[in-house]
Amino acid sequence: MTWYLVALSLGALAAIAGATLPRRVRVPVAAALGALGCAVSLVAAVGDLIDGRTILVHSDRLLPFSGVSLTLDPLAALFVVLSSLVGVAACLYLVGYAHGPSASRSAVSIFMVFVLALSVVPLASNIVSFMFAWELMALSSLLLIVTDQAQRPKARSAALWYAAMTQAGAVSITLGLLLCASRAPGQSFVDIAASSSTLSATTRTAAFVLVLLGFASKAGAVPLHVWLPKAHPEAPSPVSALMSSAMVSMGVYGIVRVGGDLLHGGTVGWWVAVAALGIVSAVYGALHATTASDFKRLLAFSTIDIMGLSLIGVGAAGVLEDSGMHADATLAMMAALLLLVAHAAFKGALFLGAGSVERATGTRNLDRLGGLVHTMPTTSVVVALSAGAIMAVPTLSGFSSEWLLLQGLLHGFTDTSTPVVIVMLLGVVALALTGGLTAVAFVKAFGIGFLGQPRSAGARDSREVSRWMGWGSALLVLPSLVLGLVPGLVVSLINRAADTGLGGVATTPVSTGAGLALSQLRGAIEPAALLGALVGVMVVLALAARTLGQRRARRVDAWGCGREEQTPRMQYTATSFAEPLQRVFADVLRPQMDVEVTHAVESRYFQQSLTYHHRIADVVEVRAYRPVFGVVHRVGVLARRLQNGSIHRYLAFGFVALLVVVVVLA
Amino acid sequence: MNTAYVSALDVTAGLVLFAAVMTLWRRGVRTIVSILGVQGLSLSAVALVLAIHEHDTALLVTGGLVLVLKGIVIPGLLLRASRLDPKSRETRPLVNVPASLVAAAVLIVLSYVVSARITSLAPSDATRLVPLGMATILVGYFMLVTRRRAVSKIVGLILVDNGIGLVAYLLTSGVPFIVELGSSIDVLLVVVVLQFLMVSMGRHSDVDVLTERRELRD
Amino acid sequence: MNRVALSVCTSVLQLALVGVGSLVLLGLMAKVKARAEGRVGSPVVQPLRDIRKLLTKERLHARHSSVVLALAPMVITASAAVAVGISPIIGTHPVLGQSADIFVIVYLLLTGSVASALAGLDPATAFGGMGASRAMTIGALAEPALLVAVIALSVQAGTSNLPGIVSSTASHPAWVFGPVHLFALGALLIVVLAETGRIPVDNPATHLELTMVHEAMVLEYAGPELALVTLGEAMRLGLLFSLVANLFLPWGVATGDSLGALAIACAALVAKTTTLALVVALIEVRSAKLRLFRLPELLAGGFVLSVLAVVMGLVIR
Repeated sequence: MTWYLVALSLGALAAIAGATLPRRVRVPVAAALGALGCAVSLVAAVGDLIDGRTILVHSDRLLPFSGVSLTLDPLAALFVVLSSLVGVAACLYLVGYAHGPSASRSAVSIFMVFVLALSVVPLASNIVSFMFAWELMALSSLLLIVTDQAQRPKARSAALWYAAMTQAGAVSITLGLLLCASRAPGQSFVDIAASSSTLSATTRTAAFVLVLLGFASKAGAVPLHVWLPKAHPEAPSPVSALMSSAMVSMGVYGIVRVGGDLLHGGTVGWWVAVAALGIVSAVYGALHATTASDFKRLLAFSTIDIMGLSLIGVGAAGVLEDSGMHADATLAMMAALLLLVAHAAFKGALFLGAGSVERATGTRNLDRLGGLVHTMPTTSVVVALSAGAIMAVPTLSGFSSEWLLLQGLLHGFTDTSTPVVIVMLLGVVALALTGGLTAVAFVKAFGIGFLGQPRSAGARDSREVSRWMGWGSALLVLPSLVLGLVPGLVVSLINRAADTGLGGVATTPVSTGAGLALSQLRGAIEPAALLGALVGVMVVLALAARTLGQRRARRVDAWGCGREEQTPRMQYTATSFAEPLQRVFADVLRPQMDVEVTHAVESRYFQQSLTYHHRIADVVEVRAYRPVFGVVHRVGVLARRLQNGSIHRYLAFGFVALLVVVVVLA
Repeated sequence: MNTAYVSALDVTAGLVLFAAVMTLWRRGVRTIVSILGVQGLSLSAVALVLAIHEHDTALLVTGGLVLVLKGIVIPGLLLRASRLDPKSRETRPLVNVPASLVAAAVLIVLSYVVSARITSLAPSDATRLVPLGMATILVGYFMLVTRRRAVSKIVGLILVDNGIGLVAYLLTSGVPFIVELGSSIDVLLVVVVLQFLMVSMGRHSDVDVLTERRELRD
Repeated sequence: MNRVALSVCTSVLQLALVGVGSLVLLGLMAKVKARAEGRVGSPVVQPLRDIRKLLTKERLHARHSSVVLALAPMVITASAAVAVGISPIIGTHPVLGQSADIFVIVYLLLTGSVASALAGLDPATAFGGMGASRAMTIGALAEPALLVAVIALSVQAGTSNLPGIVSSTASHPAWVFGPVHLFALGALLIVVLAETGRIPVDNPATHLELTMVHEAMVLEYAGPELALVTLGEAMRLGLLFSLVANLFLPWGVATGDSLGALAIACAALVAKTTTLALVVALIEVRSAKLRLFRLPELLAGGFVLSVLAVVMGLVIR
């Protein structure tokens, strides 16, 4: 734990450095301290995961009521690993990224506070310290969204949405945790876990529903997701990376911690609800990701998709545990956790890559990008590999985690109870639906954004971003490769975390090795060998080409179907790429399209100009949130009638209130 | 012998549901009616397989009756009715075809969920197939609600009837012969009456699209 | 004979058989179509001759293309070749057979599709983008049917290991005529039509850019790279055909460790895939290409069939 305290102090120092140092050295020093802090906690957490220890630290002085209490068990350590990993990369990236408003005192120091808060949340082990860290995380990220709002007109509305949803969520979580602790002697998580079985079933369910609402909204589960595709794209890119990889994971952490650890699993209904949230989110997120043309919005929707998949894993683990299939439950929980770690790495890299693209080209609209593979080679490789990971290309991390999830669900089919089978069946269907859609989304992101010819002046004149930004994002590609090629090395660590999340009974459903092999020998993958085979075949092909006497390819004009000249505007854009799917799923997406045609003066048969607008609103927002806003607004307008500014009326209100009090008390 | 019986029962009962899904999939009204015929044949096959396994003569006769009525006579009558407009197609169903198919998938899963309790009462090779019958009923009802052509609506109705038949055979190993006779004749009657109606409607105006008709209440 | 040598032997035989055989299958299907339409048609070995001709031609790259255009044919062929090498096509003990998980094969195929879509977008032409967009759309709609059908089979067999599925199907002949297999077969046939770009999903013989799907994506390839793409795509077709054949008629696949069994397995494979190719060719002759926006109906049909297969599996267990 000493190392953690060192790491946390380094983080705090970084925040102070950001707030005090002069402009020239502020960013490098603060970022170096922050990155160092994250690196220390990363190494320490990995060490503790390997040892499988549980360590407690308690101090009465730092916070009111019950003091600060930090506990490091394997589950917490895994999430510390996750957030410190992204933290290191984001700090390095910040060195190249921060300038102007994002390098101001407040921006740098709040950024460091955010990084710090992300690694404290999983450690906190009583209600006050947990909610303190949670709020610190929420508020610092909220402030960071508005740091450079002058350049981003949408940032203010996004921040408003985020503020409202996150605070409502925090209230819900606090109430839920207090309900959990209603019979406990103290408010530490140990006390709650010890006493929660004495609570009545109704109380426990109410508590779980309350925390689930808060945590699911943080994890971006549909229908509580509406803030996410607004806030994540509008934040500065290193902040988006942290939010979309580490912060959303804390939502899932909360569900596992409270539902699995503190409340000991509860009833099957809870987990069916979690899985249902996951299924809806996965499909909805994947669908919107395929049709989004804003690069960061696409990534944000894909976060909803992956969080959905991991909630499916958590839900499946819950129902399996409930019906006594502990080994399979552990498998599903491990899949969910592995997916979270893998997602943190590749989504972090993608958001940092998107930030580099935005910095280099001045836009993140895919319709205006293109050809970046020629001008920004490092960023292109980072985005390509991370996109490959998210598409579950074998030998990259997305594949090993999704394979584990599929195995968990497949094994669950052997159970006979209906809720288990239904969760497995629908989970598998959701996974199958999202697989192809994710491929479309990321082929679009990479193929339109990075290949072809530039579609705008910004993309044409782009140059590779600074070395720090390149390194920061490239760092997050490593986990995708490691988790993809040798998942067996980390699987025992994840196994410990999953055991804690399921109540502490140790089982090893996956045997250790380089690849993944299920202990009952019903499935195995060896990605490293697979990569060897793939590379081997490619080398053979390349050698064969050489012996055939192949020289460099001659450059020629592309086939233009008889046209002499082809302009970049003739290429497919992101919008046109997704148009067929948008049309197929029009019933769900409800796209709005307008075509304006201006005819030539001479004849109606010739067109002078043609404008095409299209917009895909978030159906959940339009159908579920807007009507509520309408009602609230109307109530607000009515309430304004009470206030007309007349002092007589206000005095009269006071008088009436006094009368009411007197009458009621009498 | 027993495995042959089980797989024969599984396949024939599966075909009944498969035919129901196919009616949502295809658009040509004549194709839909032919699929209905296939379903009638599979339904009678279920009855016959059960009858042979249980050595139940009454069920054997019922199976034969179903074979003749639902496999041949009713589809034949409907084919004749659809001959009025041989190119008639379900061009614009109220719910489009892909969405109907996804809905069918959901209905199949739903019927699996709701039948679990019925199945667990008396588990046997026959009763465990009850979800298929339930799904056929639901899919048939869905067809009845979402298709525009009169013939498709009748097909939906008969799908529901076939589904009920399937559930009855599987649960009780055969309804009493007289009940089956009665219900089959009811359906036949409905078909005949609707056929008359359609013919007269067809004379009245050339379309048999039911959505455009709002004056049917008097 | 030693186990390792036999595994290597199996894999090499599979690669050779599928590599050459799938091109012959393409020729055979073209021939059957030509005959059914009253034409003579080109010889069955025409695709092989085309490959030989292409290999002698010059490499050409579009002006604005990047390294992706040059890498994609290798990725397409390598992913198909690895999938062929590790799948139980003639024997249940190929190299890496332990890890020949059915999802590995599915995602290897997906990798190949992604590579060809990126290659379509790379040369900055309208046709390439069109082909890539359409192919990815079809792929995304076919993917659920494929995965769910595969899951139906794995749930029945109790494993997702392909050799495991094939050998346990071989030891339970009743499964083959059971409803799970029938519905999953229906779903997989639709998926195979979509993934290999046959009529009614795509017309492999089209010469009009606007109606192309797969051909539009590879329009920029010429010479040896086109040969490689053709070979890779043919191997995908060969792989899918032989997997469908072996999953649904597992007999003949060598389970022991004798070379004789492998020889029989080769003959059985040729017979099974030829039959399947004839069936597909006849479907192609009998049907017209569907409009792009009618395809969701076909693929949703495949999806509901696969769901039916899984539910059947749950009902009858």
